Formats: sequence, structure tokens, C-alpha cells
Amino acid sequence: MIFYILRRLVSVAVTFIVVSLIIFFMMHAIPGGPFDANDMPVSAAVREKLMANLGLDQPLWVQYTRYMWGVLHFDFGVPYQSPGETVTQLLSRAWVPSLVLGGLGVLIGAPLGILLGMAAALNRNTWIDYLASTLATLGLTIPVFVTSMLLILVFAVWLNWLPASGWGKPERWILPITAYALIPLATYARYTRSAMLDTLNRPFVTVLRAKGLSERRIVFQHVLRNSAIPLVTVFLPMFIGTATGSIFVEAMFRVPGLGAYFVSSIEGRDYPLEMALMLMITFMYCIAYLLSDIVYALINPRIRVGGTP
Amino acid sequence: MPLVEIQDLKVSFSQYGGEIHAVRGISFSVNEGESLGIVGESGSGKSVSCSALLRLLPATAKVSAKSITLDGVDVLKANKEDLARLRGRSAAMIFQDPMTAFDPVFTIGHQIAETIQSHRKVSKREALAEAEQLLLRVEIKNAKDILTYYPHQLSGGMLQRAMIAMALSCRPKVLIADEPTTALDVTIQAQILQLIKKVQAEFGMALIMITHDLGVIAETVDRVLVMYNGEVMEQGPVQQIFDAPQHAYTRTLLASLQTTFEPSRGDGSAAPALELRGLAKAYRIKRRSGFFTSYGDFHAVRPVDITLPRNSIVGLVGESGSGKTTTGMMAMRLTEPSSGQILVDGVDITSLTPDQLKSHRRSMQIVFQDSYSALDPMMTLTQIIAEPLHIHGIGTTREQTEKALGWLERVGLPRSFGNRYAHELSGGQRQRVAIARALILGPKVLVADEPTSALDVTVKAQIIGLLKELQAEMGLSILFISHDLSTVKSLTDSVVVMYRGRVVEQAPTSAIFADPQHPYTRALLDAIPASNPRDKRERTFLAAADLEAQTPRYTVIQTGLAPNATPQLVTIAPNHRVEAIVTT
Repeated sequence: MIFYILRRLVSVAVTFIVVSLIIFFMMHAIPGGPFDANDMPVSAAVREKLMANLGLDQPLWVQYTRYMWGVLHFDFGVPYQSPGETVTQLLSRAWVPSLVLGGLGVLIGAPLGILLGMAAALNRNTWIDYLASTLATLGLTIPVFVTSMLLILVFAVWLNWLPASGWGKPERWILPITAYALIPLATYARYTRSAMLDTLNRPFVTVLRAKGLSERRIVFQHVLRNSAIPLVTVFLPMFIGTATGSIFVEAMFRVPGLGAYFVSSIEGRDYPLEMALMLMITFMYCIAYLLSDIVYALINPRIRVGGTP
Repeated sequence: MPLVEIQDLKVSFSQYGGEIHAVRGISFSVNEGESLGIVGESGSGKSVSCSALLRLLPATAKVSAKSITLDGVDVLKANKEDLARLRGRSAAMIFQDPMTAFDPVFTIGHQIAETIQSHRKVSKREALAEAEQLLLRVEIKNAKDILTYYPHQLSGGMLQRAMIAMALSCRPKVLIADEPTTALDVTIQAQILQLIKKVQAEFGMALIMITHDLGVIAETVDRVLVMYNGEVMEQGPVQQIFDAPQHAYTRTLLASLQTTFEPSRGDGSAAPALELRGLAKAYRIKRRSGFFTSYGDFHAVRPVDITLPRNSIVGLVGESGSGKTTTGMMAMRLTEPSSGQILVDGVDITSLTPDQLKSHRRSMQIVFQDSYSALDPMMTLTQIIAEPLHIHGIGTTREQTEKALGWLERVGLPRSFGNRYAHELSGGQRQRVAIARALILGPKVLVADEPTSALDVTVKAQIIGLLKELQAEMGLSILFISHDLSTVKSLTDSVVVMYRGRVVEQAPTSAIFADPQHPYTRALLDAIPASNPRDKRERTFLAAADLEAQTPRYTVIQTGLAPNATPQLVTIAPNHRVEAIVTT
């Protein structure tokens, strides 16, 4: 198992380097630069000076090596759009609201989704199933900016119970987190339902019933454990993926999170910030998949124990 | 009062397009300690009736009956507590496929112990100790280790033993065995059946044996219920059913046990239709140790020589894992051999490129075991049967269709079936379509890989008849792969027995049955269930080591070969070769 993890860590490192190369060169393939004439009316000489200072006059591979060397020392550079701080400072400031939004959203949405999916599977073809499936389908098909607007309309404009936007106080969190939680809720509900139904149809469930086990024990011990095996590979990556929050939800509720920087860093050719954001996402997903593979092996004896002894 | 009493049981399933009446008013009873066999084909309602007894049917099933009582409890009115008591304690079940009957994520020990604990207040430790005792009772030697194993670590036979141990754990009054040996090899089947009889006597249980196999019935039960299409055709003592069947359907079933054999014409003078010379297959297997990966070889098939004479049928027999299917696939070059040569009609096709091979494929075709997954579900039967003609560009589309329809009739299906899809057919009908598709090109060699093992007995007999008829008409040479010696007996001219990737004996069919030389061949023959209850007997089973120890020995004088401690194939009579050790 330890060797398995070590081998996987090596492959994570390789993935990370390959992805960073792709991102870096694609980023520079976009025409234009940070100091284009229409954004920043400075003389050609000043622009050249600026470019030289930032090392942007160097060949791309030199820029890449320099940047990655910095990354190795946790130095992600200085954002062009806010030169008063380092990228690390900017991220640690802006990441908090995103983390709270995404984290609480998924922490609330995922368990509810799993429960909803279980309820639907165990009461197949009854009104509970239909209600849960309808909710899940709506949650998946209606874009999050539409549900956000509906939430604002109902709870802020009509009922006037909650503030429509902003972040400062906890009551401002409720609407954006609700809007965000609907996504994992719907996804988890659908996956859980189908995984549970698959397991319930397997012959060993009939055997368990024939043994005289209680239905509760069959569902909570046997069916749930078996259904969890396919689900971890979907759920864990999604869970960690949410740590970056949602650009749309943040925009709708004017949450001062990371979302806005994704857009502005690309628009402004803010290379250090853009690179840092992308590397952050890559890293989180690499870790998420690594974790989900490990958990998968741990809960699945066919992988953990291997074949005939 | 009988232990089990069912009166006028009706079960129907509602589906799209109406109701399916699976059981139409059957009645039977089982007394304490009695063994009842329920025999019938798939869809006859035999399993459904017994599932109804424990209320194991899905919610879509509608069950009605005058009465269903089990151990003095009215099953239809039973509440949760009654049910929990009935299931496992009054009646326990063992199922067809032991590989899927255990929960894959818990150990065998856990699953037996939880059964005990759900019926009695005992600690986990006590339950596990009891589980160990139970495993010993079902003749599992290393019981303590087996408790800690997961289902995927055990073979089918071992799992079925563990399943029996689990069923025994609450001392049930009746054991319901639903096709308990259908998924197992013949030799394992014989062991499991004997075990079931043994524990039934030891625990004083009643037994309900559900099966499609009259041989299993003859071996295990006192009284028989013959079911067909949801109704009881006939019931009575087992000897009476075999000796004096009253109902026409029972007679058909029994007739399928009686086999007649006519040798195919054969054509020894010409070059063989298929010749395999030293054909072998080894798979590379990865072994991981730390960061390093080493590779080893798994020999699925050791070098084998098999000759299929023109215009005759050769049976290739062995249990699962013996390499018989791999050999068949290699003969068709559907699996690439590791070494050796394949000669079809005298032409070496071993190293032909795919383009060169294409024209040769016309003379070599294959029929698979699972007809359902062998036929494209999106194509009509005409399209399926005509596809080989299309691939080889023979005739116009109209001619291809006409020829396909002709073949549909030739394999005994009406022309009107041409526009149907595979899922609309029964298993036997699908296998007929697969045979038509294989033969439409007029091949010289046909590999039939267990074409009848998924079929009901009466259908099996029909398919065997069809193959035999077409073989004679077309002068086909068939390599018939099977795990079932009784099927082979009625069809093939000679038999090749494979064991662990090696050929251990090959001889004309009559010689194999009359005078088997290799201990494994004898074990296979001994395991065939009796075709009449009078012939049932105690069997002794040999472990793999015993088989090795009993490898026949021949002297230098008998064989004319140099002495050799490694077993080799020795010719002991014309066309009869057996793996043996040559001694001085």
C-alpha cells in the first residue's frame, strides 16, 4: 500500500509538470500582453522597461523555468493588477470566502444529496422517488445563476428576509451557500440513487434477506458499503473541487472570493496570478484523485487484499 | 402436519404490456426430513414458488394462495418478526451462483457470524467459533483461515460449501437448494450434491432441491414434482417418475437423458480439417514488489497437439480453467498463440496477416456459449445471419437476404422471424441463429464453444440434434468444446480431455467411456450424475495431488519410448493416447 501511494505520488508530480507546461504555453499563446497600448497608455520605452523588469522579454522557456523555480520555493510572483502584494497574499486573502462558500456548500449539499438518493432508491417508483428525482434533475439542469436569481428574488426582494448580496456577516452567507449547495445535492442524489439501485439488484441482497437479516442491517451495512465503492471515485474529487468556489455564485452574490480573479487575470494577461490559480486547481484535483484512489482501494477488498492467497 | 404446505399458489408479475403468470395454482407439501425435488425448465416457475415461500419476491410480484404455511406459520400473514424467524431458522436457502451470493466486501467469517447473531444472542467471538465448526462440517479443512478470506479469494466450489455452512448456521428445518450446482464444474457438482445429502442426514432437515437437471434429481431426492409453464405436471416417488412417467412432458425430459450415438462418416484418408501442432498460450503476469515490477508466465495452455479429421466431430472436454476455450479461440486465431502451428485444411494460418487471414476465415467459424451477447441487439436476425456474406462480399444484398432467410428455415426457425431482434427469442432459438450465422459461409471447420451449456435439457437435445444433422449434410468438421461428458457422449466421434492446460487423454468416444486410463478422465466420468435413481452411489473424490500420484505408468517395452519421470503422452491403442510416466 505504501509503495502504491509512493508510485501514485510520482505520477502526481509528472501530471503536475505536464499540466503546468500546457497552461503556461497556452497562456502565452493568447495574443497581447499585460501592457498593451489601449489598457496602459505608456510610451514604448517605458513599456520595454516594464517588460524587461518583469522578465517578459526573455524566451518562454526561460520564463517558465524561472516561474516554476519560484513555485518550488512557494514564490508565485507579484500580480500585475495589484503590485502592492504577492500572489500568495492575494490568494490567501481572497480564498477564504471561496473556501467558506464552497466548503459549507458541499458539506451541506453532499449529505443531503446522499440521503435524498438513498430515500429515492429504497422507495423506488413511489412519490418519494419521483420527488427526489425531479429535484435532482432540476438541480442539475437549471443553471446556478438562474437559481441564484430566484433565491434573491424570493428571499431578498419579496420576503425581505435576507440580504441580497455581500459577504461580511454570516446572514449574508445563507443565500449564496444555499445556491451553491444545490449543485452537489443534485449530483450526489442522482449518483447515490443509481449506485444503490445497482447494489439492491445484486443476488447477494436476496441471500441476505433469505438469511433473515433485518432490512435496516441489509441497507445500512451491506448495501451502503457496496454502493460507496463506485461513489468515492465520483464524490471525493467533486468534494475537493469545490474548494475553489463558484465563479457564478460569487458574481451573483458579489462575494469577494477567488472567482473574479479567474476572469480578470486572463483578461489582463496577469501571468503570475493566472498561473498560480491554475496550478492551485491542478494540485487540488491531483490530490483529490490520489485520495479517492486510496480510499477506493481501502474500502474495496478485491483491490486491498488481492487474489487467491 | 407437514413442514411446508402450499395450496393453490399463484404468482404473477406485472410488466409493460400485461401480466406474466409465472405460477398458476400449484400445491405441494414437504414433511419433516423429507427430500422433494422440483424439476422444470427455466421459466417453469420452480424458483419463484420457493421464493414465495420465504416472501423473497420483488414488490412487482403479485402472490395469492389459499394457504402457504411453513413450520406452522402462515407465511402470507407473517409480520416482520415472524419473517425474520422463518428466514434462516425455519428455512434456509442456497443459491445458484456462489460467486455472486456473498457480499464481496465482508469476510466469509463475518457473513456467517452475522447470520448466527441475527437469530441468537451470542457474542461475535462465539459466533465466529461456531462458524469455524460449521465450515469443518462442510469439509473445509483450513476453516480458521477461510473465515478471514473475502469471497473473491475462494473458488466456486469452496464458496458453495461456505454457503451451505451459512445455511446450516441456524439449524433450519428445511433447506431449499435453488440450482446449487448449475454454475459449478461436473466434478465439483458431484461433491456438493454428496455434501448436501450428508448434511441433510446429519442435521435431520427436509430438502427442497430445485433443478433443471434430472441427474441431480436422481442423485438426491425421494419425491419429485415436475413443473412446466407454472403448473405441476406430475408428482410422485422418484423411482416411479423415472420408471413410469405419466405425463408426456416428463417423458420428453427423460428422453433427453437417453442418448443415441451414430458416428459421423469421417474421412481419415484426406488431410485433417484442423490440425493444432504444439499450440500453447502463456500470459504475462505482473508481480509488483516495491517500485519494481517483475513478470512471470501463466501457462493457460501447454503445448497441445489436436487433430480434427475431416467430416467428424471431436469433443474437447475439461473443467473451467483447463484451457479448452483458449485452445478453441487460438484454433480460430481469435487469441494469438504463444507458440505452435494451426493448420486449417492443410494450410498453415499461424502467421498470416489479417488481410491474408480474411479469405481463410470463410472456412473456419465459431459458435459461442452465450448466444445473447454473441448477437448484436441492434440488428435483425436477417442482418445478423447475412452479415458474413456482406463482409466477404458474396452476392447482392437481395441474394444475401434470401440466403439468410433460407438458413433461418434450415436451422428450424420460420422465415417470418427474419425481422425480429435477438432479445425476442428464447435461448435455444438464439443459438440456432448463431449456428446459421456460422454456417452460412459453408465453412469446413466449426468450433462450438459450449453451445448448449446455457440451455434447458430438452432444448439442448434439439440443438445437439441440429448440429449433428448439419454436420452430416455439409460434411463439417466440428471441434465441440464442453465441460459435460454426457453431452459429448451423444455427439462426438472422439474425445480430447484437457486438465490444467495439458491434454491428458485422447481416444475414440467409445474407448474413453469404456476404458478410461487417466485418473482425471475417470474422475470426470465418475462425476456424471446417475440417469436413474437406482444407479446412485457414494463417490470418493480425489484431490489434485492424488490425481498426480495416480498418473498411469507404462514400461519401455509397452511403449517403445525411453524411460522418463515427466509424464508424456503415450499411445496405448490405435488413436488412444494418455499422459503417462514411462518406466523401465
